[in-house]
Amino acid sequence: MEAHEAKRELESLRRRIDEVDMELLTLLEERMELGLRTRALKSGPLDAARELSVLARAKQNSLALVGEGFAQEVFSSIMAESRRLQGERHTIVAFQGEHGAHSEIAARSLVPGAATVPCVEFGDVFLGVQQGRFELGVVPVENSLEGPVSQVSALLPESGLWIRGEASVPVKHCLMAWPGSDYRDLRVAYSHPMALGQCRGFLARHKLEPRPFYDTAGAARMLAREKPRGAAAVASALAARLYGLEVIQEGIEDEESNTTRFLLLSRSPSEEGDKCSAVFTVRHESGQLLKALELFAGAGLNLTRIASMPCRSDPGNYRFFLDFEGTDRDPAVRDVLAALQERATSFRFLGCYPAGR
Amino acid sequence: MEPRETVAAVGSAEAPPVHAKSRARLVDREARPRTLVKVGSATVGAGLCVIAGPCSVESEEQVLETARAVKRAGADMLRGGAFKPRTSPYDFQGLGLEGLRLLAAAGRETGLPVVTEVMDPRDVSWVAEHADLLQIGARNMQNFTLLKEVGRCPRPVLLKRGMQATLDEWLLCAEYILAEGNPNVILCERGIRTFERYTRNTLDLSAAAAVLERSHLPVIVDPTHGTGRASLVLPMSLAAVAAGAHGLMIEVHRRPAEALSDAEQALTPEQFGTLMERVRGLAAFMGAGAAEREGGR
Repeated sequence: MEAHEAKRELESLRRRIDEVDMELLTLLEERMELGLRTRALKSGPLDAARELSVLARAKQNSLALVGEGFAQEVFSSIMAESRRLQGERHTIVAFQGEHGAHSEIAARSLVPGAATVPCVEFGDVFLGVQQGRFELGVVPVENSLEGPVSQVSALLPESGLWIRGEASVPVKHCLMAWPGSDYRDLRVAYSHPMALGQCRGFLARHKLEPRPFYDTAGAARMLAREKPRGAAAVASALAARLYGLEVIQEGIEDEESNTTRFLLLSRSPSEEGDKCSAVFTVRHESGQLLKALELFAGAGLNLTRIASMPCRSDPGNYRFFLDFEGTDRDPAVRDVLAALQERATSFRFLGCYPAGR
Repeated sequence: MEPRETVAAVGSAEAPPVHAKSRARLVDREARPRTLVKVGSATVGAGLCVIAGPCSVESEEQVLETARAVKRAGADMLRGGAFKPRTSPYDFQGLGLEGLRLLAAAGRETGLPVVTEVMDPRDVSWVAEHADLLQIGARNMQNFTLLKEVGRCPRPVLLKRGMQATLDEWLLCAEYILAEGNPNVILCERGIRTFERYTRNTLDLSAAAAVLERSHLPVIVDPTHGTGRASLVLPMSLAAVAAGAHGLMIEVHRRPAEALSDAEQALTPEQFGTLMERVRGLAAFMGAGAAEREGGR
């Protein structure tokens, strides 16, 4: 083999080694997450019998190059690290999407030091928190370019969960592709429909066909694994880093101010706060909504958001979501809420929580 | 294609002036008042606009250092190549998209609008994401697919004259861009090929003056490529300004001897500083003269 051919071959093998390393890290992350989730279900971080069975399986399934000794060594050290993490008692926060999703970025800013666990659907986040599998959940509620996230608005009122906090996160999208793919050959862009909507202008300028996917970071992960031809993904810079993709262009959203508001959800309400949320329905009669809103005006409460969503079970009727400045410790606020509850055909207070900056 | 037609096509390499004149053209002087092309904070077509920077973007440090130097000396726009049309395929071909990112970052940092060459029609939308002004190089002047593509792009275009192109052929290339709906075209004289080999090309200053007669589009002059010799850049810059050019395009490198391309023709930042003083002085003098003449009428 000529020297330059050998060099090229070496480079190509090393690229594949890098890919495998990335995959190993992703799998280790997942293993640590699952370990953390077992913590609440057993008496302590160490379960000696379980560790012995893991090591036995490692020994049994050892391969030609990964021998018994090495396999057991690797698993011993993985389990030692898992025990250490379980001892640190990380808060477990669920989000929808894959690692690198904007929801995960929001979760990290809302709960620093938390262990963030990905879920495929919004429903999995709600159910997981309701059933106690996760301590907290983070979901997007509204985007400055694309409006409300309808699934979240549909799930929240019935979930019985409380809003404990909120964060407005600037959303910076990147166009990314497999390293070495030519940007001139790109024809399609995979991402969450919300993200594709936020980058409509950019995608049109480059004649990239938007292809909806269940998640932004999920699209990046799929790209890294399956390497479809002519395909790019729209996701965060974090996702590009996590899945070893090359960022072709940063900041591709149509408006630089692109922001998504996220809610932190839990089974119990927050102990303090200066902002409240509620959802209600009123009789379909003239002036009913106005009378409901007048209660807030009368008490001098500033509404920061009014959104309406069709009632799923009752077409033609709407559910109204209100956010307002104030605390439920304030008697005036309590009076307004009590009066609203009386007027409304259905009413739920969603929580009083610290307003995001 | 019939063989006879092929012969005819070769025989008519020079655009027949009679035919070309036979219909009104968007590029002609009479078509509209003088075009002013806005490029970010700069305007080309009124006063003197000086574009300066390295031949190629080589590294973050190199482009940023050069950008700061030309800004200090008073340049209005930053140039830098990311896709390089090199005579030899083994020469440095440019950093591509990464070069564009570095150039755009240097432009943001210094507040200078940036101009860079686009060579491939498929690159136009991508280059337009980073550049304020798209340059069509001399070698691509008659790449009609590329001209149509930039004609449909919402960015102004700097059209360099091909080294074998007549004035009319050059103007017809601008017509391609205008006809696609992009009115913002700047012409750039960069020297033509003659039998003289002392200079890299022969800078055809009469063409710059002729464009002013023939078209409403602004015209600038590139004495760096026009002469290929750093020592001739200053005198030819002065001559271009005296001939009425709306601007200059000058290659500046922090250390010309180390440049990855066109090392023998780039100015040092110090030489560029001197040049700026001299051309600004001349432009001010000429501007005052023009005002006197206007006043005397």
